[in-house]
Amino acid sequence: MIFEMTESLLSALRSIRAHSLRSFLTTLGIIIGVASVITMVGLIQGFSYMLNQEFQGLGSNSFSVQSYTSMEDRLQGKIARITPDDVELIQSRMSDVVSLSPIMYNSNGALAQVRYQSQISRGQIMGTDRTYQEVGQVYLKYGRFLGDGDNLTRRKVAVIGEDVRSDLSLPENPVGEFIRLGSEWVRIVGIAEPKGQIFGQSQDNFVLIPFSTMQSLMGNQTRPDIFLQVSLFDGVEQQAINQRITNLLRFSHGLEGDDPNDFRVQTSEQLTDSFNNILDTITLVMGGVVGISLLVGGIGIMNIMLVSVTERTREIGICKAIGAKRHQILLQFLLEALILCLLGGLAGLTIGYSLSVLLSTLIPGFPSAYVPMWAILLSFGFSAGVGLIFGIAPAAKAANLDPIQALRYE
Amino acid sequence: MALLSLDSLTKVYSMGHQELRALNAVSLEIPRGSYVAITGTSGSGKSTMLNILGCLDKPSSGVYVLNNTDVGTLSEDRLAEIRNHEIGFIFQSFNLLPRASALENVMQPLVYRGCSMKERRQLAEAALARVGLGNRIDHLPNQLSGGQRQRVAIARALVTEPSILLADEPTGNLDSQTTKEVMSLFDELYAQGQTIIIVTHEAEIAAHCERVIRLEDGYIASDKNNNRLRPSYDI
Repeated sequence: MIFEMTESLLSALRSIRAHSLRSFLTTLGIIIGVASVITMVGLIQGFSYMLNQEFQGLGSNSFSVQSYTSMEDRLQGKIARITPDDVELIQSRMSDVVSLSPIMYNSNGALAQVRYQSQISRGQIMGTDRTYQEVGQVYLKYGRFLGDGDNLTRRKVAVIGEDVRSDLSLPENPVGEFIRLGSEWVRIVGIAEPKGQIFGQSQDNFVLIPFSTMQSLMGNQTRPDIFLQVSLFDGVEQQAINQRITNLLRFSHGLEGDDPNDFRVQTSEQLTDSFNNILDTITLVMGGVVGISLLVGGIGIMNIMLVSVTERTREIGICKAIGAKRHQILLQFLLEALILCLLGGLAGLTIGYSLSVLLSTLIPGFPSAYVPMWAILLSFGFSAGVGLIFGIAPAAKAANLDPIQALRYE
Repeated sequence: MALLSLDSLTKVYSMGHQELRALNAVSLEIPRGSYVAITGTSGSGKSTMLNILGCLDKPSSGVYVLNNTDVGTLSEDRLAEIRNHEIGFIFQSFNLLPRASALENVMQPLVYRGCSMKERRQLAEAALARVGLGNRIDHLPNQLSGGQRQRVAIARALVTEPSILLADEPTGNLDSQTTKEVMSLFDELYAQGQTIIIVTHEAEIAAHCERVIRLEDGYIASDKNNNRLRPSYDI
C-alpha cells in the first residue's frame, strides 16, 4: 500500500511538473482563496490581540459609564446625558469605594476653536483630571500632566497633542505659551508624545483642560455630556458597585419602574467581549466569502483534471494494457488533484502571511499581524478537502476507462 | 497442455438491433514456444481476437484458458494482473508514454507488480540491452526514431518475461529497413523460446511465422504450418 502510494505520488508529481504553467493556473483559485483568508485572519487576529492587551491594561476592576440614547428617543430629540450633577452625586455617595475619572466633551460651539495668534485648530477639547493620564495613556514629551490642584482651583491650564501644536505653529516645546479657547486664555503646561493614527483617525488632536475649568468655561447654559471612567478600590465587589451606580443614575435621571436605562455601564471585559464578537463575526463572514472562492477554485481543479484525463486517455489505456489496476489509476489522479490543492494551499499560506505582515506594517498604527495555528490547519484541511472532493470525479472517470476504447483514442 | 486454448469462443457486438458476430465459435490451441501469425482482412475479427487473447476484452461465450487459468471468469483486477504477468503487448503505434524516458517506459509495467526501484532499473536496462538499445535509455520517445521506439515497446513487453508476446501490426508504421530489423528481432526472440503471436495483414510478416491462422468473418478460414522458420530475410 505504501509502495503504491509513493509510486502514485511520484507519477502525480511528474505530471504536475510536466504541465507546470497549467498546474499553476489551475491552483490559482485555491492560492487566492487561501491567501485572502490568511491575510484577513492575520490582520483581524492581530487587531484582536492588540485590543485584548490594551483592555487588560485597564484592569478588571474598572468600568465606564456613558450616556445612551435609543434611536427612538434620538428621533424625538431627547438626548440622554450624564451631567456634572450625576458625577457629583456618585462622587459624594460612593467616594469610599470608587474613584471617578470624568471626561467632559465640549458641546459648546463657542469653544470649538482653539487659537494661537492668527492660527486656528479644531482639536477636541476635553475636561478631565489627573486620572486620565493612565486611562488615556498619555505620555508627556515636555511639561507635566494635569494635577489635582489644577482641578481644585480651576486653573486655566492645558495639555495638548502634537497635531494641535503643529496646527497652531507653536514652538517645538510649547510649555508656557498661552492659547485661546473661545474667549478664555489658557496656559500650556504639557505636550503629549505623538501616537499616530488608527484607521486614518489622528490620536494627537486634543486639548486637555481640568474638568472644573471646562465646566466654568462651558457655563451653566450648556448641558455637557460626561464620559465616566470608574476605578474600584481593592477588595470591592464590582457587581454591587455596578448596581449602586445604576440605581443612583436612575434616581438622578428620574427613571421609574420599567423605564429603560438612558446610560450604559460597561466593564472592560464587556467591551473586549463585544469587540471580539464583532471581530469574530467579521472573521466568519470573511470565512464564508473565502469558502465560496475555494469552492470556485475546486471547480476549476475538477475542470482541468477532467481535461487532463481526456487528454491522457491513451496513456491511461496503455497503463491499463500493461497491467495497471483500477485503484492504481484512481489513486494517481486523486493524488494529483490533492497535491495541486495542497501546493495551492501552501502558496496561498505563504502569500497570505507575507501580505498580512506587509499590510500591518504599511498601515500606520496597525498592530502586527498574527496568524493562529487553527487558520493554517483549517486552510490546509479545506484545500485537501477541495482536492479530494473535486478530484474524485475525474479520477473515477480515468479509472473506469475501457482500455480498448482508451487505446484507440486519438 | 497447450499454453493457451480457445474453445468455441464467440464474441458478439450488439449495435442497436443488429448483432455483429466478430468471432464465431473459434477453437484453437497454441503451444508454448509457438510463432503464430493471425491474418485476415479488416473486419475479419483479428482485432477482437487480439483483444481477447490480450485479456483486454471478455468473450461473449466460450472458454479461453491461458496458462491453466480460465480467463473468462476473472475480475477486472485479476485480468490486469494477468496482462501484467502473462502478456507483453506491442502496438502498431508503439504506445509509449510520451513524457517518460525509454528507461521509464520499460520500467512502467514493473511498477504495477511492486518491484523495487533498483530491481526495476536492472530488469529494464537488461531488456533494453536485449533489443539493442543499451545506449539511448534516457531519451524521450519523440527523440527516438520509429524503429527505436518499437524496440523500446518490445523491451517494455519483454521486461515482465511474459508467457506471450502479443504484437498488433508491429511493423505497420515502419519503413522496410526497420521492418526488417524488427522482424529479425522477433525471429531471434522466437529462437530463444519466446511464444509470439503477431496480428498482421501483411503476408510477408506472416511468412516469418511457423504457423499462420487466417480469419474470415469470424471463422478460422485456414490454419497452416509454414515449415520454415526464417524464410524471406537473412539475418
